[in-house]
Amino acid sequence: MKYSLKGRIEKICALSSSDDVMKFTFLSAAGDKFACIYADSIADKVAIGELIIKPLKLFDGRAEDAAKLIACPQLKDCPDETAAAGLIAEGCAILLAEGVGAIVAADVKNPPMRAVMEPPTQVAVKGPREGFTEDIKTNLGLIRKRLKSDRLEIRFLTVGKRSKTAVALVSLKDVAADGLVEKVERSIEQNEIDIIPDSSYIAGFVSRRPRSLFRRNSSSEKPDVFCAKVCEGRVGIIVDGSPIALTVPYTLSEDFQTAEDYYIVSYRATFLRFLRIFAVVVGILLPSLYVCAQLFKIQLIPKKLLFKIASSVEGIPLSPSVEMLFTLIVLEVLNEASVRMPKYVGLALSVVGALVLGDTAVKAGIISTPAVIIVAFSAICLYTVPDFVETSTLLRLLCLIVAGSLGTFGIVVLAAIIVAYLAGENDFGVPLLSPLAPLNARDMRDAAFKGGMYSLITRPSALGVKNKVRLKRNERND
Amino acid sequence: MNGTIKVRQICFMLVAYNAATKLLLYPTFMAAEAGNALVIPALVGVALQTAAVGATAYLSSRTDKTLFALVEQRLGRAAARTVYVLLGLYFLFLAVVPLVEQKNFIHDAYYETILSLGMLLPVFAFLFYAGMKSIKDAGAFADICLPVFAISLGAILIMSAGQGDYSNLLPVADVSAGVLGRGIIASLYRFSEPALLLIFLGNFKYRKGDAAKLTLSCAVGGLAVVATMAVFYAVYGPLARTRTFAIVNSTLFFSPLEHLGRLDLIAAYAFDLVVLFALALYVQAFTHCFCRAFGREDFNCLFSAIATAVLVAVVLIVNNKYSLLQRAAASWFFIPVIIFSYLLPLGAHLLVRGKRGGKAHEDGR
Repeated sequence: MKYSLKGRIEKICALSSSDDVMKFTFLSAAGDKFACIYADSIADKVAIGELIIKPLKLFDGRAEDAAKLIACPQLKDCPDETAAAGLIAEGCAILLAEGVGAIVAADVKNPPMRAVMEPPTQVAVKGPREGFTEDIKTNLGLIRKRLKSDRLEIRFLTVGKRSKTAVALVSLKDVAADGLVEKVERSIEQNEIDIIPDSSYIAGFVSRRPRSLFRRNSSSEKPDVFCAKVCEGRVGIIVDGSPIALTVPYTLSEDFQTAEDYYIVSYRATFLRFLRIFAVVVGILLPSLYVCAQLFKIQLIPKKLLFKIASSVEGIPLSPSVEMLFTLIVLEVLNEASVRMPKYVGLALSVVGALVLGDTAVKAGIISTPAVIIVAFSAICLYTVPDFVETSTLLRLLCLIVAGSLGTFGIVVLAAIIVAYLAGENDFGVPLLSPLAPLNARDMRDAAFKGGMYSLITRPSALGVKNKVRLKRNERND
Repeated sequence: MNGTIKVRQICFMLVAYNAATKLLLYPTFMAAEAGNALVIPALVGVALQTAAVGATAYLSSRTDKTLFALVEQRLGRAAARTVYVLLGLYFLFLAVVPLVEQKNFIHDAYYETILSLGMLLPVFAFLFYAGMKSIKDAGAFADICLPVFAISLGAILIMSAGQGDYSNLLPVADVSAGVLGRGIIASLYRFSEPALLLIFLGNFKYRKGDAAKLTLSCAVGGLAVVATMAVFYAVYGPLARTRTFAIVNSTLFFSPLEHLGRLDLIAAYAFDLVVLFALALYVQAFTHCFCRAFGREDFNCLFSAIATAVLVAVVLIVNNKYSLLQRAAASWFFIPVIIFSYLLPLGAHLLVRGKRGGKAHEDGR
């Protein structure tokens, strides 16, 4: 027989080569033999039963017309058994009929997923609390809920030779710069990789300098932040399996903005932004300046404080730079361990780290009290801008090494090199330091400053958007 | 290439870099040369420089071509190349005095000891790195440097202005014309900004009023120098000739520093960051000129390395002979400055035919 059901089932099962691929054969009311093949771990069995098998069992027409009865909204025709095996892996149920050549695939996938909840990395006191999940459809739903515009464009890409991960590029057609979406698409598609387990893999693809210490994309777990950035003219990237969405082009000032800045009084938001900038600068430089002051320029420290420090460091066997380096490394180890450990152990670890280790080390005279205070304050300062922590902790370490060997002069030169590097960098034509360099006074209203709602009437001009106006106030006479 | 740098960024350079390169040892030097009348030679220098910048800025209103294209159009490619090579070398020459002063500043303000020259390697590493960057990037550096300059010098002036006795500057009339004349000649080599404007020619979009903005910026930068010198002399009086580095020493008597520590040094270090970028601009200018002269835009790395190597050699040679360098600078450095920073911009006017946009020739690049 030309289309032997048994033979084709065996062929598809052989191609799928997984034990969780199930097959189910049944007869219709007319006596035709059907088979349904699906991956047990990802397909929704209730949907298969209700939408495919139940109507077919009652069907007494010709087997060729059986597909019309399937009540699933997403039906695909498979050209051959190889394609069918691929679709099974994606979560489709394959329907075959004895003596019928057509293979029908019904999308009934129902992968395990968690509910929409507040993102743990971006907690908001004011404003929406919804966060992205690992499911791309849920995430796109959260975006559609906020952007009901017919100009919203969502382009799907499939990335990963083996994972075939769905990646969605989200943009506003009438806002995003001409060719920006295509550039992002090209930069992703030119890579061939086995698997995309998280959006951070895509982040590496869309960066002009993937080896840079400074990241080149903004990330968020909050749909309100994501939508606001898409409305500014950026392209959003949602990756199936990752709760972290990306936006490009990126400017460094984005790291110093939070969603809440837009939900509170602008003066307070401006103050907080300056506070964050100050905290990051202090967090990076404080340990190294302390070392510089001790080793090279003692006048930097006020006299009274100097006497206090002198009494604290007396008898410490380590040099100031080695002492600070040691304390910083201990902090990094504690930080790493507390993140990786189970919660209940983490609490004990905090006690051991902060109280036992810190206190005992000071009492034993291995490290001085000022060193512990400075490192602790530096760590707190850096966490005021959590998105920048990956970079700032390394910069702090680098500054410390330079300070220990070259002093303040080394830090000034290092700062000059970093500024020269950052000022010359751009991604997708947008300077990394925009709107500071090149200076754009209008864009500065939403960078270090946070202007009131009516001072943010235009989108950031550095993004080269098609439609510059984002807020228009219609005057009313009443 | 027209439009790679913004007029605003050039203005920022004319304020920040113009002042930064002059404020390390120039106040002390002028206090030694002209005593309490130190601001007069400085004011003359600022006036001359501002006039020359105004003339160069006016040139940019007459043409949208680069200097290279202008010379090439009238005198041929070989002449254009020669002018650019000489201009590039001139920029390196201009970097020498500020670089040696920077070396002394590092010893004095950062370490208080004479260190090995190896400690200067990071400066040269920075100059090499920044020297490879384009003119567009130089503009971005200026955007960052201006606020740093304004805040740091502002803080230094606020801390020191109240500590001075301004009667120290009087009576100006007591100083003889000969002393003033010597002071003007000896300090003229520091007022060389018009040459920098030459390399930006044709690299920015000129709009009406830009010449006035550029001229005014140069005047503001110059006046910042004069103000700092006046405050410095007011604080130290006749002793100013013995006190090096006005930006570090003027603030010494600010009483809150007793309780806060030498926070003024943080401002001085921030100011020094601007000095580094000002020095880098000379290397960038050298690289730009040589790349254009040899028609190899991709050789920026090589030319930056050559510029840095030359500067390393100069610092090694000069090392502890700053006074010798200073004497040489005071006696003959003004000659190349007059040629390249004053006569060349004026001469460039003769190369421009017709009005801007009219009879436009294609840029030779």
